[in-house]
Amino acid sequence: MGRLSGGGGLLTYVMATAGLVFILAPLVVVVALSFSQANIATFPPSGFTTSWYEAVLADDEFRQAFLTSVVLAFAATVASFALGLPAAYALDRWQVPGARAVETVLLSPFILPILITGLALLQFMAMLRMRDASTNLFIGHVLITLPYLVRTVTASLKQVDRSLEEAARTLGASPWRVFRRITAPQIAPGIAAGCLFAFMVSFDDFPISFWLSTAERMPLPIYLQNSMSKVFDPSIATMSTFTIVTGVLAVIGLEKLVGLRRAMNV
Amino acid sequence: MTAKATAAKVTSRAADLAVSGLTKVFGTTIAVDGITLRIASGELVALLGPSGCGKTTTLRMIAGLVEPTEGDVLIGGLRVTRTPVHRRNIGMLFQNYALFPHLSVAENVAFGLEMRGVSKAAIRPKVAAALALVQLGSFADRLPAALSGGQQQRVALARAIVIEPALLLLDEPLGALDRNLRESMQVEIRQIQKRLGITAVLVTHDQEEALTMADRVVIMNGGRLEQVGTPEEIYSRPRTRFVASFIGASNFLHGRVIGHDGSGLRIALTGGGEACMSHSDGETKEVLISVRPEAVSLAALEERAQHGGSGLPATVQQVVYRGQATHVHMTLDDGAPLLAFLPNRQGEKAKEDFSPGNRVWASWPSSSNWPVADG
Ligand SMILES: Nc1ncnc2c1ncn2[C@@H]1O[C@H](COP(=O)(O)OP(=O)(O)OP(=O)(O)O)[C@@H](O)[C@H]1O
Ligand SMILES: [Mg+2]
Repeated sequence: MGRLSGGGGLLTYVMATAGLVFILAPLVVVVALSFSQANIATFPPSGFTTSWYEAVLADDEFRQAFLTSVVLAFAATVASFALGLPAAYALDRWQVPGARAVETVLLSPFILPILITGLALLQFMAMLRMRDASTNLFIGHVLITLPYLVRTVTASLKQVDRSLEEAARTLGASPWRVFRRITAPQIAPGIAAGCLFAFMVSFDDFPISFWLSTAERMPLPIYLQNSMSKVFDPSIATMSTFTIVTGVLAVIGLEKLVGLRRAMNV
Repeated sequence: MTAKATAAKVTSRAADLAVSGLTKVFGTTIAVDGITLRIASGELVALLGPSGCGKTTTLRMIAGLVEPTEGDVLIGGLRVTRTPVHRRNIGMLFQNYALFPHLSVAENVAFGLEMRGVSKAAIRPKVAAALALVQLGSFADRLPAALSGGQQQRVALARAIVIEPALLLLDEPLGALDRNLRESMQVEIRQIQKRLGITAVLVTHDQEEALTMADRVVIMNGGRLEQVGTPEEIYSRPRTRFVASFIGASNFLHGRVIGHDGSGLRIALTGGGEACMSHSDGETKEVLISVRPEAVSLAALEERAQHGGSGLPATVQQVVYRGQATHVHMTLDDGAPLLAFLPNRQGEKAKEDFSPGNRVWASWPSSSNWPVADG
């Protein structure tokens, strides 16, 4: 890596720092508030207490919502992996007719307003008399997480040196073994990045869950929003801190697994 | 290294190769146009030709990586045209080495054996023997990224031959290496190929590489075979103008047959002067003669009588000192170019007589006249 120097270098550092401040400062504020002794969430926080954490952890509804979100995000990620990996491979490697059209449809949740997608989905499910909120949420979330896997896996497939696969084939590897032994290790970082995105997108999702959740099946972002409209005390900040920590843990997990820089292709 | 490892030997199960009417059409381009060729077991044949003439496509059809539009591939007498790549038992070397970056050198070499279901215990000595053959025994545990280009290609060679392929295919394997290394690798690959008796097809656009390494050279042009022969045949008896100019440099002289004498045909050259030719392919009145520049010697115009054989007057345009030889670029009286390579022998007087603008008599032994088809 070359060192940045000169005017351009300075500008880059200033912008990177500004970017970091704008991203990190609100998170720091939220975490700071979660330890505040005041009864309403105002900044700067006053005093220090962990009582909000005790209260939140004792809250059954919060635990239920957190668990719902984790399970939902995990399931959506697994399903996106199971569907997205073969889809991306087929789109990139086989000359399937209409591959471009299929790719556009798969990636359309990136472009369409998710709130509208959610509403459409709700009407569609009502029409089909699908009443199980868990199933509906799962389907809705897979719809928005799948594009992340398709996108990252397709991108990493395009980077694989095709002569590696050809060399493996000449050495006697069947197509499946070429994939298992040669292609998969090359695209593993991309798969991991896609899974991380999928998990976080689902865990963080509001607009889809907004339409598809019920009082019994309520993911964390919806529960947070509901609580916020009732009271605005530091427990909101505490619950948010749990979300932040989950995200950080996922990133650390990815870093440990494949190395984040490799996964993000930087 | 264990005693067992040193005892293992790399062997080969080479087979002969035949392709017939091999054709590949991409959309509207005919990349390969009806190639028929037989390669004997243990022979190394080089496919040589300008960029885009279809060498790689031909090789990839033999490998099974590209499906032929028409024609057949037979390995060891068996038709494999529709056999998938992984069942053809072929070793292949790529220009960019194509080593698996996530596997160590030893794991790379072991890959093909593993795919064949060879037991772990049997793999180890074979891998060691193959690495020893390419002199990389001590590099077994390294990752490919920690090797130089030449070392990487040697690993790729070990990986390809350890499976005892029926056929070794090489697509510009040394194209990415610098000149000196390329030359030593040419010799090394050739030695190993000969020692193991592997049938091999080498694609290259480097004529020296083809002449150095191959038993026979196949000259391709525009998807077709132009000429097939030993390096010596291709160089001294080119069939067409294309071959004569592609392999080495050549002068081309147009002429008309004006008669016969005891030693052969007498030909009047279009640029003035006369030539004799013993080899001729029939009764052609108009002929195109190829003369290698190293056959041409120069003299002052007044001394023309002392120089027999074939010859004609020329005007010197440019004299270029090139170390081993001095290249004299001339034009004939009809405007056609003529090139002479004059060897620079130690202690000999420099050719200062020949400077731009001088009129000279260019002559060469009549045995250097070679008729070519104007293609
Ligand atoms: N996959 C492909 N699709 C379309 N055209 C192709 C494809 N592969 C090769 N061609 C065309 O076929 C012709 C022969 O290509 P090929 O790669 O066999 O040439 P080559 O002799 O190996 O050239 P080089 O010395 O540059 O490697 C070229 O005109 C090329 O553009
Ligand atoms: Mg090529």
